[in-house]
Amino acid sequence: MISFNNTTQLILLILSVGVFISALEYIKKIQVFSDNGLLSWNVMQLRWNKQDQKPLLKPLSKLFNERGLAALFIIRCLLIISLLFFPLQSAMGWVLVSLLGISLLTSSLVTYYGSDGSDQMTMLIIITLIICNLPGLSSRRLTEIGLWFIGLQACLSYTVAGIAKLISSEWRGATAIKDVFSTKTYGSKKATLFLQKYPAANGFLCWNVMIMETLFPLCLFLPWPYAMVFLIWGFTFHFFTALIMGLNSFFWAFMATYPALYFINHQMPWHLF
Amino acid sequence: MMAKLDATVIYETIVTVFLAFWFLITIICQFRNTLLSNFFKHKVDVFGLIPLWTFFAPHPGKRDYHLLYRDKITEDNYSEWQEIDITEERSFWSWLWNPEKRDKKILSDVVQSLVTMIPAYRKEELSLNLLMFSMPYIIVLHAVSQCQKQSKDVYRQFMLAETSGYQKETNPSLVLLSTFHQI
Repeated sequence: MISFNNTTQLILLILSVGVFISALEYIKKIQVFSDNGLLSWNVMQLRWNKQDQKPLLKPLSKLFNERGLAALFIIRCLLIISLLFFPLQSAMGWVLVSLLGISLLTSSLVTYYGSDGSDQMTMLIIITLIICNLPGLSSRRLTEIGLWFIGLQACLSYTVAGIAKLISSEWRGATAIKDVFSTKTYGSKKATLFLQKYPAANGFLCWNVMIMETLFPLCLFLPWPYAMVFLIWGFTFHFFTALIMGLNSFFWAFMATYPALYFINHQMPWHLF
Repeated sequence: MMAKLDATVIYETIVTVFLAFWFLITIICQFRNTLLSNFFKHKVDVFGLIPLWTFFAPHPGKRDYHLLYRDKITEDNYSEWQEIDITEERSFWSWLWNPEKRDKKILSDVVQSLVTMIPAYRKEELSLNLLMFSMPYIIVLHAVSQCQKQSKDVYRQFMLAETSGYQKETNPSLVLLSTFHQI
């Protein structure tokens, strides 16, 4: 079995849990890729309307059906299980992660609709791990550059989300969370009733999310005991979005970036105080 | 040894430049409607590798969308409207295991794309007919076409409506009513 005292390995482990669950979820809902399904390749290939792209897509028609994609997702699960026995730094481990990356890229062609920010973060992390740990050509420094990239993308994600909320009248007016939670798509009846009963909670939650997201990059520059406040906030935030909004995949994709944040914080030559 | 070191250095430089470029493009593409961001997102980014981090902002989704369809039985006689469920009722374990979100999110994304496109197509009356050739419209039509048919030859119409979810502060409103399509 691999050991988990390595930052890169820890990122891969946490991410793998999320990818494994997502693959199983797709297998459960595999009929979505059938000829009659919402993501039928007969329809999805219409995204590419240029004649010169069609020969490239033709071989994919054999894969992008219910059976082909079920096989792809099962292979993905097996790759993840295999990764428990081969560290990323080994040749075999790198091959397994690369195959995992290829499977994610391949399925992304057909899951254009239905994918979300967690899928984007997952792909970003996997591709970074692949290119920064290539056996024979990568170095310790390149591995560390990859960790910096993952950590900085995580910080960018939170900051952009925070700023986008700060410029929104609905968020500043403290109605956004109440409105989102009142939808059946992303909310729940219990959350709606709670926020109707305690309207001050709307304001607290909206401003809490806006401020913590916008200031999240401070976790790189604060002394570690203070930086942990942001990571604990992030853990809580993603846990409750999974619980209330059903966004379970976000939890794993973003928690996977936290070892990189820890690494960067401890690499910083200086802290704010 | 020197050749290997050089190859390592060269590879390190290439990857570092690539990651820096990826990070820069990510920043640029957070501003959705610039020429550069549209070019990268729609022409270059086939695999969806340029993330969009503006979650639920600046305009959080606060409406639920509903997809309904009905069939034309005779010229003056139509079936009742049937709704395709595109919202999920979550269970206690949805925070960990939530396969229901997959198909619901697909239809929700498609409907949201269609809703976003309508104003642009509506600007010119003739262009609204061109909406029928857009990807989201075709996917929605494909989805409603798969629902149970009473007979072999069916003419089916779909409707997109929006409601205010659990709050019920406003009445449901019509977003789009399609023509009858032979399916």
